[in-house]
Amino acid sequence: MPSDTGPQQAGIGRERVLDMVRGSLAEILEVDPGTIADGASFADLGADSLALIELVEALEKDLGTDFAGFRIDDEDLEDLKTVRDAVDYVCAKLGNAS
Amino acid sequence: MTQVVDGLPVAVDAMGGDRAPKEIVAGACQAAEELGIPILLIGDPEYLESVGPFPGVQFQGASQVVAMDEDPGKAVRVKRDSSLVRCAEAVHEGRASAMVSAGNTGATMASALLRMGRLHGVSRPAIATVIPVIGSTPTVLIDSGANIECTAHMLVQFAQMGWAMAMERFGIAEPRVGLLSIGEEATKGNALVKEAHALLEGGAAGPHVHFMGNVEGRDVMTDRVDVVVTDGYTGNVVLKTLEGGVKAVVGAVLSALTSSDEVKEAAKGVMPALLPLAAEFDPDTYGGAVLLGVNGVCVISHGSSGARAILNAIKVAHHAVEDKLVARIEAVVGSGVAS
Repeated sequence: MPSDTGPQQAGIGRERVLDMVRGSLAEILEVDPGTIADGASFADLGADSLALIELVEALEKDLGTDFAGFRIDDEDLEDLKTVRDAVDYVCAKLGNAS
Repeated sequence: MTQVVDGLPVAVDAMGGDRAPKEIVAGACQAAEELGIPILLIGDPEYLESVGPFPGVQFQGASQVVAMDEDPGKAVRVKRDSSLVRCAEAVHEGRASAMVSAGNTGATMASALLRMGRLHGVSRPAIATVIPVIGSTPTVLIDSGANIECTAHMLVQFAQMGWAMAMERFGIAEPRVGLLSIGEEATKGNALVKEAHALLEGGAAGPHVHFMGNVEGRDVMTDRVDVVVTDGYTGNVVLKTLEGGVKAVVGAVLSALTSSDEVKEAAKGVMPALLPLAAEFDPDTYGGAVLLGVNGVCVISHGSSGARAILNAIKVAHHAVEDKLVARIEAVVGSGVAS
């Protein structure tokens, strides 16, 4: 996992990353984004491994426009168990990239 | 040679399956030659070059192959230049009308899902397999293996998608949809089945989907039902049990009919009637199952598919495109109304 250096230097706040994760996940799971809590686990939300891959690809696509080459490492996927894990991971990754 | 049909080719994963690439390529070339369906064959460039030019067949090189035992999601992300992923991309990019693969089922589903995308409103795509019924239209079994864990809401969507397939592919005006359980009464079954039964009974699949209630395993190969809805785990067990059971029975009958010279002689009279039955029960006749709920036509063939199965799978894919199956499913599920 990347170190948690925060995304602010790269021009994107944690709230925006959380919105992106919620938005993508809501679209994939066909649920209201407002029902997805920050601390919710992917398992409890009904997101299986394929849904997580969908989420990862959606985030890479969305973030790739502002952060060229942004990619989530496949070996890190197993560590992402909750919405918060995913947001923290993306923030740290963007912080490292800036 | 049959005249080549106008339009986009069907993308075929030349490297997917236990008998790839030889049998896959042979089946694809046969489809082009005998059915006139244009083909986009994607696979190992060296092998495809050795096949040489073939009328009605385009070739596209892909440097990677997804193995039968690879993790589906990771394989699709890591092997972006695999023949399987390139097939799904060809459909997404509008260079192919449909895709066919006999490779890793999970990876085929993941490729189609991630590259083509899901239809609006579809929770999870499901695999619809055609089960032969002697003397009648086949039964559509959905889900036959895509989703091991299901919710009742997913089963309602499977009912809608299976209904659309039975209507479009077999021309059944009002397909009868049954929910697989261990008894016909609404009180029979596990919690998932009971919840799904209540939803379907309440019209959750739309006013046009005729829900006939629970059906049992013995009904699947009869003309009592047109669409059998179940979770992917149960559906796959049912499918493999039927395939194994039918194979055992057909083998036993053929063995009995060749057990002695006297029986062989007597069997000559009945063989012309029995052999077409054996062909009708052969999974290769139906080519492959269709992945419903993705934004494109994806046909998944048996891992052991030979040339004949691939030929028939391409035929299935071609008909699904002609029948506008994807648009029909989108209309049924996306709007929440089966009209």
